[in-house]
Amino acid sequence: MTKLALRNRIFSTDHRTIARQYFFLSLIAVIFGVVLSILMRFHLVYPAAQVKWFEWLWPVKASGGVMTPELYLSLMTLHGTIMVFFVLTLAPLNAFGNLVLPQQLGATQMAFPRLNMLSFWTTVVSFLLLIASFTCQDGGPLSGWTAYPPLSALGAIAGPGQGLGQTLWFFSIGVFCIAATLTSINFIATVIELRDPAMRMMQMPLPCWNWFVTAILSLLSFPVLLAAGILILLDRLAGTGFFLPSGGGSPLLWQHLFWFFGHPEVYIAILPGMGIVSHIVSVFSRRPIFGYRAMVYSTIAIAVLGLLVWGHHMFISGLSPYSAIAFSVLTMAIGAPSAVKTLNWIATLWGSRPELNTAMLFCLGFVSIFVTGGLSGLFLGQPQIDAYFHDTYFVVAHFHMIMGIAALFGIFAATFYWFPLMFGRKLNERLGKLHFYLTFILAYGTFVPMHFAGFAGNPRRYADFTTFEFLAPVLPLQKGITHSAFTLAAVQVIFLANLFWSMRRGEVIVWTGDTETWQRSHTPTR
Amino acid sequence: MATLTHPDSLKSDGAPPPFFPEPPTGGGGDDSDRNRPERGNSRSAAFIGIVVMMCASVMTFSALLSAMVVRRGLNGTDWHHLTLPSILWWNTGILILSSVAIDVARRLLRRGRRQEFNYWWTAGTLMGTWFLIGQIVAWKQLAEHGFTLIGNQHSAFFYVLTWAHAAHVVGALVGVFYVEYRALRFRLGPAGRTWVDVSALFWHFLDVLWLFLMAIFVFWA
Repeated sequence: MTKLALRNRIFSTDHRTIARQYFFLSLIAVIFGVVLSILMRFHLVYPAAQVKWFEWLWPVKASGGVMTPELYLSLMTLHGTIMVFFVLTLAPLNAFGNLVLPQQLGATQMAFPRLNMLSFWTTVVSFLLLIASFTCQDGGPLSGWTAYPPLSALGAIAGPGQGLGQTLWFFSIGVFCIAATLTSINFIATVIELRDPAMRMMQMPLPCWNWFVTAILSLLSFPVLLAAGILILLDRLAGTGFFLPSGGGSPLLWQHLFWFFGHPEVYIAILPGMGIVSHIVSVFSRRPIFGYRAMVYSTIAIAVLGLLVWGHHMFISGLSPYSAIAFSVLTMAIGAPSAVKTLNWIATLWGSRPELNTAMLFCLGFVSIFVTGGLSGLFLGQPQIDAYFHDTYFVVAHFHMIMGIAALFGIFAATFYWFPLMFGRKLNERLGKLHFYLTFILAYGTFVPMHFAGFAGNPRRYADFTTFEFLAPVLPLQKGITHSAFTLAAVQVIFLANLFWSMRRGEVIVWTGDTETWQRSHTPTR
Repeated sequence: MATLTHPDSLKSDGAPPPFFPEPPTGGGGDDSDRNRPERGNSRSAAFIGIVVMMCASVMTFSALLSAMVVRRGLNGTDWHHLTLPSILWWNTGILILSSVAIDVARRLLRRGRRQEFNYWWTAGTLMGTWFLIGQIVAWKQLAEHGFTLIGNQHSAFFYVLTWAHAAHVVGALVGVFYVEYRALRFRLGPAGRTWVDVSALFWHFLDVLWLFLMAIFVFWA
């Protein structure tokens, strides 16, 4: 490889090349994450099944082809971490933000191109560390993506995978925090400084607004996770007692620090999707977005409230009922700006003759799933109801709907809409629509039944609940969920095929869509 | 997918006019950047970048300090008050002086007095390095008096906070030394002024942060 190719393709400072790099990194991550979830779903409903290649993959953890609970938990940890950090954070913000933000602002580059390249490669290091944590000899970490102490702070004595695996996991997250902070610096500086001089803040396209607010959220939350990560690494490696009751510390302190990051992280995942949806809905309804100002203010309101509601993840941790009420009221308040957004999307569509192409369909799917997932949030936001639901599949259903599938639909919409900007070609519409309809139905088919499992008191995070008598009626439901999830994953092959086929053979187009994005970019880079 | 054609493309020659003129090449740094059509990598972008960076640092330190507040509130038996080694006061003085020197240097460069800039900036750089060495001495002295990372929560937080601050100082020193390197070779043109101002700003930030930490160690913890 020549030096030039190295600089242009690998260590490129061009924002679109970096966007493509992020896109493919999160594509690799999402494939990995989906495979993990398939393995988990399989184990949940067939815990005693003997699968030969499980034993081939994990000779110790799945001896005889039966997954151990530890293996299940490490799959769960890695699934959560990969999906939250490397898919839902990277794809909507880093990939599509890098791709589109500069030109929607009328700039040719990000504010700090070299910093941009540095953040991408730092992210890659973080990803490799995470994968390394999973391949440790005694297995991957078991403590979930939230890594609650004392389990995560004790070290190897806490269980297999809690030694080196968990340490590497924390290093991975620490490195990711640094990368995310660098990215947010770049995004904020780009929006403030590189905006077209004629473009006032209140004239910015909505995706830019949402990326901007998301960058501020990541700037305020990732450094806190970094600080918490440093403290817990000291607990693990130097023997301090910040989070360990045996050392006089408090595990709840971790929960506060973690969720101060963790809740804004939800909005880091979903806000860019909202911006993308606002944009695409407006373009294909062939009219400006209804209530631009309300959209901007609701984005800001969601971000501000999002920073103040971390306690609703801790209702059952022994939190004072008074603070629980405060957190609950603030949580409910998020419903208001969210409703404003939904109303405005519908109002934009109202009476229009929308063009229902794949990108638009995914946006409509986004709105639908956002509402469905948001409604279950109203249950969980109340301390009394959360006390029952907290450790059940209801929560799994809720966050997969609103954070997982909704954000993913935003990513799909953006992929279909801006694919020509990445590769100079169009994705196949027919395959795209087929992919959308199947994904939409199967996503509902997978996650709606989980609510009912939650009603029945089906606990989450358990590797095997088939032996509980009270859950016997739920088992057929869980089997149905697994089959739906399998099909949902299989359907994604259509998307992958479409993606890789269209990259090389798709219809070549010069431009399409809205003028803001395209007026500067009539020549696709490649 | 809709083909909403850009109106410009309907023009006879087919090629849309450039939205902006071609970006000028080279340079980058002085105030005239603001008026150039091509923005980016400019002086004000650098300032925004460093201010945003400082916000991130503030968040990290807020998290550590709030952890300290919570931890102290637990009323454990392992919170023993730390007697600050006297060298910390010297370090504080040195850091303030280095900040002053760096700012004097910055102002001198603005008036084009490069030779004097070099003297003052070198002084600031050396004092900054001295501060870092002083911190290492302070940690050693504390360890000799039995205040280690483990056992006493107050000293644990002291170490974490001062290490985090020192890590920032190391980062800032990289910038300060880079300016020093260019200054001593008399390579500091108008473009270099951004480096000077940005490093100086971050250095002052670390100075203020240190004073805040000292105030907490002395008056609260």
